[in-house]
Amino acid sequence: MKVLFLGTSSGAGKTTVCAMVCRRLAQLGKGPVPFKGSNLSLNSYATADGGEIGIGQAFQSWAAGVEATSDMNPVLLKPAGNGVIQLVLDGKPYRDVTKAAPMEREEVMDHVTAALSRLESEHGIVVCEGSGSPAELNLLDRDVANTGLMRAAHVPAILVADIDRGGVFAAIYGTWRLVPEDVRPLLKGFVINRFRGDRAILKSGIERMEELTGMRCLGILPYEFLRFPEEDSLSFAEGKLEGEDPRAAFLSNLDEMVQHAVESGFDFDALLEIAGSGSSSRGHPEGADLGIGREHRVHGDRRAVHQIKVGVGAEAQGAHRVLYGPLGHIVRGP
Amino acid sequence: MDCIKKKVNEELAAGWIGSNKACAYHPCHFTGQDCTFCYCPFYPCNDTTFGNELTGKRGNKVWACSDCLFIHRPEVGKFVIARAKELGIEQAGDPRFMDIFKEAKERYYKRGRALMVVGATSDAGKSVTVAAICRILHSRGYLVAPFKSQNMSLNSKVTRNGSEIAMIQTLQATAAGLKNPDHHMNPILLKPKKDTVSQVIVCGKPYADYDVEGYYSEFVPGPGREIVREHIEFLKDRYDYVIMEGAGSPAEINIYDVDIANMRAAEIADADVILVVNVEWGGAYAYALGTVELIPEGDRKRIKGIILNNVRGNPENMRSGADKLEEMLGIPVIGIVPHADVVLPNEDSVSLRGVRMKGKGKSVIGVVRFPRIANFTDLDPLFLEDVSIVFVQGPEDLEGVDAVLLPGTKNTVADFLWMRETGIEAKLKELWKKVPIVGICGGYQMMGRVLHDNGIEGGVEQDIEALGFFDNETSFGEYKKVILQDEGHMLVGDKGEVTGYELHMGITDVKEEPMFIIENRYVSGPENEGSVRESELTFGTYMHGVFDKPAFRRYFLSFVKHDGKPVERREVEDYDAILNENLDKLAKVFEDNMDMDALLRIMGARE
Repeated sequence: MKVLFLGTSSGAGKTTVCAMVCRRLAQLGKGPVPFKGSNLSLNSYATADGGEIGIGQAFQSWAAGVEATSDMNPVLLKPAGNGVIQLVLDGKPYRDVTKAAPMEREEVMDHVTAALSRLESEHGIVVCEGSGSPAELNLLDRDVANTGLMRAAHVPAILVADIDRGGVFAAIYGTWRLVPEDVRPLLKGFVINRFRGDRAILKSGIERMEELTGMRCLGILPYEFLRFPEEDSLSFAEGKLEGEDPRAAFLSNLDEMVQHAVESGFDFDALLEIAGSGSSSRGHPEGADLGIGREHRVHGDRRAVHQIKVGVGAEAQGAHRVLYGPLGHIVRGP
Repeated sequence: MDCIKKKVNEELAAGWIGSNKACAYHPCHFTGQDCTFCYCPFYPCNDTTFGNELTGKRGNKVWACSDCLFIHRPEVGKFVIARAKELGIEQAGDPRFMDIFKEAKERYYKRGRALMVVGATSDAGKSVTVAAICRILHSRGYLVAPFKSQNMSLNSKVTRNGSEIAMIQTLQATAAGLKNPDHHMNPILLKPKKDTVSQVIVCGKPYADYDVEGYYSEFVPGPGREIVREHIEFLKDRYDYVIMEGAGSPAEINIYDVDIANMRAAEIADADVILVVNVEWGGAYAYALGTVELIPEGDRKRIKGIILNNVRGNPENMRSGADKLEEMLGIPVIGIVPHADVVLPNEDSVSLRGVRMKGKGKSVIGVVRFPRIANFTDLDPLFLEDVSIVFVQGPEDLEGVDAVLLPGTKNTVADFLWMRETGIEAKLKELWKKVPIVGICGGYQMMGRVLHDNGIEGGVEQDIEALGFFDNETSFGEYKKVILQDEGHMLVGDKGEVTGYELHMGITDVKEEPMFIIENRYVSGPENEGSVRESELTFGTYMHGVFDKPAFRRYFLSFVKHDGKPVERREVEDYDAILNENLDKLAKVFEDNMDMDALLRIMGARE
């Protein structure tokens, strides 16, 4: 089973919604695993299998209760300055992408679908995150993580739209209209994110949207920001973790968010139904030990620390500098 | 009347003078105005396009036309004085002036046209687009007025006539070269009080509080539409162009029929519409297409152009997508505008979302980030100095600050109790007398000893012991608001000039040394304002905009020390001058990246 969350814009709340969904599905014993086909981010994480992935998928793996692996983010693009972007493929630096030598979809797409299919065979449900908006007319023919993935792996998709900015119906309808016709039938649902106020006022608009597009509304999520680990909550010395455990703090914050989503009537059944409508669906170890809350042991060479910026892509509310160990464990604050 | 005649006689004798830059009040209406007839030779013209009849205190009829700009149009002033000379008119009241009036009106008067700018989202760049178009048309010699039927904002300003309107319309008026923005430019202002309740300001005065439901079911179908119509007509009578700004998105299909801020207003004004989309967040094509296609066909026909705004990176990269969009919608993309690096005040607290620090200066001022923070444009001039600002949301944020600023709030009582709950109050008491603390408006009220509330502010009747940095007591007793524009000077420091405006519920019994003396040009009698205890580094004022002129900014910063060192002095700068420069810069970015012919054609300025 697999499902792809697409944003109607950057910062629509994809990363957070995916983390929330991973957490909930883990609670339900559905065996979720996060995935992002292609990620443009400076913020990376070192996985236990020695690969480098976007930090968002690492946080989502905490939420899903699984160890982060390089399959969760097979393509990572890290801006290196001066128009040069480092392409990290399957967790390993692959080559520099420049204006003269851009990344070609053909070059990476097989790696992306292969990683997705490995995850699908190992886990109950792959919760995929898109990148930016899937309706960038000038970028459609190069898209990997959105319509590219839908086409290559027949992944059903759900739109996440930020209502706090206004124009939410235009965003949903416009995105649906601009997604190429061959994959448009895979757009199955939408989520209205960051809502404040009386939900009744949205009713007529939602009905009209469902009627116009055939997608169904899975829920209206309340306005809240997931607090990703940041420097304020950390206090470290000599590579030894002290003070509040950022992972525990993150997960407890996420649990609150799951609670709010459940209370608001978010339709997880419909989500599972949509996820099951994709092309291939394999068995998974139902009810297996998902390792939620399990302590992940630090192992490996602590000296090989590299400095990166933490925060989650466009969603970051200001970047925070933190030191990460090679195994993804925070070892020292600035 | 005789007084006016005498003045007109003097004007006739003096002849054409153009813009009288030597006058202390210049420009009193708009930049580039003709001052030949400071007093109108046509008074009273009794032409209801330009004025209206009022009933005076003794039941007498008075012709009121203070908003008329006709005689101050350069071409009109010049024509009238030349014609009067030709006809040998030397005396005011000569009946032949009526002939000249008719002729001038025939030659130079054309009723204004309206153009509306709507946005695909909030923060799409509507306000700056309106400001840019205002400046562009103003610099081409047109008389332009900004307009927003309904604005939801906690940043408001006071006009010369004592009306409260949204700050952003006053900024757009400045862009249009206008000196006296008025409530016609923003007849409905919504100031959020609680999550779903807003104070509704109509024609610059508090009208009532409404929740969302009540606003759309009672206010809009009741007085709402008529208010919009009346003020659009008023402006179209007097200006060449009315540049209207929409609110939020025009495609909110769930409230489409009751939305008087977007396409309904365009219909009332018979305005063509330009759609602005913020490209920065991505999804711009989808937002543009979705917005246009969700608008019903009759209204959709008004949309004549699309602007892709706030592009970071190369605008050319957007072109291929823009071409496809044009093809799908049949509406031209008339501009792909890069991010404009300008310093202009922000409209919404959305712009503060997630912002924890601003500025690059060494000295750190902690600004308490009230949940209902209002008029935070007060802070903007501080960034001209060697300071940075930390937004304080908990006591730990006050650690190590060099000064504290308590800004305005929409609800003094609720936000004071919030400070108590978070522990900020206790921390402030620790910092008192150690670092300078300044309160503005609501923040100033909190610095007193007691807040007496009969329930109108906080919801329940209570007396709250406040910070006690001053001996003042503030009472919230009735649904009444003080709305004043202030001009005066300091009673402390270098006694320099200060300007600002007051907007508050609640009356303060002041028991402290005053900080300012207010001598309003348009209102009677000097009055003391503010409180100061210099030796205790404690300052408070009701005046918003108090940092705009350098005098008080300098004075306050002279008490701020970072690591024992004073704030580095920079060249004294007047915030208004900087705003003007930035408006020019903004207009240039738009001019350089828009199809100006297409825009002017839409405006009817080029047929």
